[in-house]
Amino acid sequence: MAEPVIVDRVTKRFAGHTAVDALSLSVPSGIIYGLLGPNGAGKTTTIRMIMDIYEPDSGVVRLFGQVGGGRQHSAHIGYLPEERGLYPKMRVLDVLVFLAEAKGVARGVAREKASTWLDRLGLADWRMRKVSDLSKGMQQKVQFISAILHDPDLIILDEPFSGLDPVNSQVLRDSVVEYRRAGKTVLFSTHIMEHAEQLCDRLCIIARGKKLIDGTLAEVKSTHGGKHVIVAFDGSQGGAQQIFADRRLVAKIQDFGQQAELELALGADAQEILRALVGSGARLARFELASPSLHKIFVDLVGPEAATPAATGGNGGARA
Amino acid sequence: MRKVWAVIRREFIERVRTKWFWVSAILGPVLFAGIIVFQIMQSVGGGVRNIAVVDTGKLGYGTRIVEALGASRTIRADGVKLGPAVLDSLTSLVETKQLNGFLIVGDSLPTDGEAEYRASNLSLQTIEELQRTLNRVVEKARLEGKGVNPTVVDWAQALRVTLDQKKCQRGACTKESAGESFILAYVMAILLFMAILLYGVNVMSSVLEEKTTRIIEVLVSSLRPFQLMLGKVVGAGAVSFFQFVIWGVSARVLISLRVPIARALGADAASAQNITLPHVPFATLAVFMAFFLGGFLLYSSMFAAVGAMSSNEQEARQAQQPVTYLLMISYFSIIGLTNDPSSTFARTLSMVPFTSPIATPVRWTAGSMGTVELAASLVLLLLGIVGVTWVAARIYRVGILMTGKRPTMKELVRWVRTA
Repeated sequence: MAEPVIVDRVTKRFAGHTAVDALSLSVPSGIIYGLLGPNGAGKTTTIRMIMDIYEPDSGVVRLFGQVGGGRQHSAHIGYLPEERGLYPKMRVLDVLVFLAEAKGVARGVAREKASTWLDRLGLADWRMRKVSDLSKGMQQKVQFISAILHDPDLIILDEPFSGLDPVNSQVLRDSVVEYRRAGKTVLFSTHIMEHAEQLCDRLCIIARGKKLIDGTLAEVKSTHGGKHVIVAFDGSQGGAQQIFADRRLVAKIQDFGQQAELELALGADAQEILRALVGSGARLARFELASPSLHKIFVDLVGPEAATPAATGGNGGARA
Repeated sequence: MRKVWAVIRREFIERVRTKWFWVSAILGPVLFAGIIVFQIMQSVGGGVRNIAVVDTGKLGYGTRIVEALGASRTIRADGVKLGPAVLDSLTSLVETKQLNGFLIVGDSLPTDGEAEYRASNLSLQTIEELQRTLNRVVEKARLEGKGVNPTVVDWAQALRVTLDQKKCQRGACTKESAGESFILAYVMAILLFMAILLYGVNVMSSVLEEKTTRIIEVLVSSLRPFQLMLGKVVGAGAVSFFQFVIWGVSARVLISLRVPIARALGADAASAQNITLPHVPFATLAVFMAFFLGGFLLYSSMFAAVGAMSSNEQEARQAQQPVTYLLMISYFSIIGLTNDPSSTFARTLSMVPFTSPIATPVRWTAGSMGTVELAASLVLLLLGIVGVTWVAARIYRVGILMTGKRPTMKELVRWVRTA
């Protein structure tokens, strides 16, 4: 089966500002793919080009092996946009049926599936109510149902967890995992690394419209940085600060106070650090050899750029 | 096509479900029923008028007039001899509404032709009947004075000519009075203007709603923008068509029920029979519908583009002004059009696509337009629709995904070029 999504050297400019710059990525079938990046990195613009909402200035989007964006394949793609929106004055059930019909689902089938999903997410009593009567969380659920109602092979979720409380966020995460288990493909964007680390099989980190790294979670971790050590103190830190400052042992450090993540210098031995720490009188609660967290990789990669906000589009609508 | 159908249905059902649709759907028939009841009540009030005929002379003209009015269905007259304070007491009877009025005639009636009528309410119908009766009585008296046999006079006066009014246009003559066709043309023009404006603005606010709620993003990823716009315009058009049907059917039903309504109000059936709808020939109806549809497509696609280029109600209200002004030209021309439907001004308006949706039905109804001109007007309108929709669809396509400031004219031109 052809890869559900291939983005090939796609560029999009808005009034002189380049939102996406020759970006290429490919999403294999049956996995959860994370598109990560700081605010303004071009995630939403990329997704909008995949969905046929924007046309790329150059480059090609291929879906299911065919050139062309999401519109031709709307029956097989579910889309949850970053800016959520439903018709506030319509009844919940009617909105769902209409949105499914717009993707080519027959009316009767749409009604049936909408009812099933509303039951499943605990909204059965609300189906005849107006959308505007629903709480924000409920509206998000309805929006999510609208994205998956037609049983698509590929779902594209733009910042799906933003604005959700922990309970609903968990419901959504469960659904995403369940989807992958059913052999479907999920592409989602986020800037929350914890979510990405928990969910993604593959990921791509972008900043300022350019790809910084992509691959499986393990690949990204192995290609980036060396060995990492997580140290947690239990009371006294002894001479830890001096040891951490020793560039022969520690290349980089992220100090959280009672805990620190160290990147070992080239050729350094973790055991040497452990001996030195114990010798300096530090009391340790934890000393763990680890691969770097996605959070650390992300901050290392986009850190300086993320601090300077990306230029915003001049002609409106150009937010990434 | 199924997708467009879904958009049409949503647009139609959601509009028909609103309160406003039913308020105006019910208001139409209520207004119409009010007009019928008002007319019946008027004819009940003016049904039979009681009047007195005061004869100030001795030649008995008063009696003759009372006799002549004996055949009248609307006036019941009683002769009164002139006495002291008779006029004062009659006046007070009129004031207390026990008497509708009184007629004063003297012996000089056949010579100077003068009489006087005093009443609290000078209804046109009563005055006309009194005048007719007086003329006849005077005519008879004068002919008798010259020795003509009274039975001959009666025989001569027994025949009254009825003038059958027919209107000839486009080679066919139909029974229709001049006033009727004027009113028909006028009412049609107003209806067209209102429907195009109201439902055009509806299309605009519907586009705007999708833009402000951001649902447009999901829609555009499933439908082509043109499909969406088409569905919207057709859906809103169907709603206004439905509105017209409700009004038309209820008017027909009310007209067919006018006799029972009159009875319920205590009036006689005859008074209700006079209430009729103006006669609308089929061709006129077809022209009306064709140009309503054309005008609606033309203007609502412009309104859709306006909705797409604005990001809130306020902006849309401003941006819609040029479109509304364009429509207003037709509105302000209605009087001129109905007064002189064959002027160069009227001819020009009926050929320009932006004004022809109102001007052409008016000129056609007034009978000042041939089939060739009609066909030309229709073809020009169709060309106009194609051109305007093409431009509007391009603006719509770019505009619906834009947020932020409203585009300048230059940017709009670029949208149309590049879309």
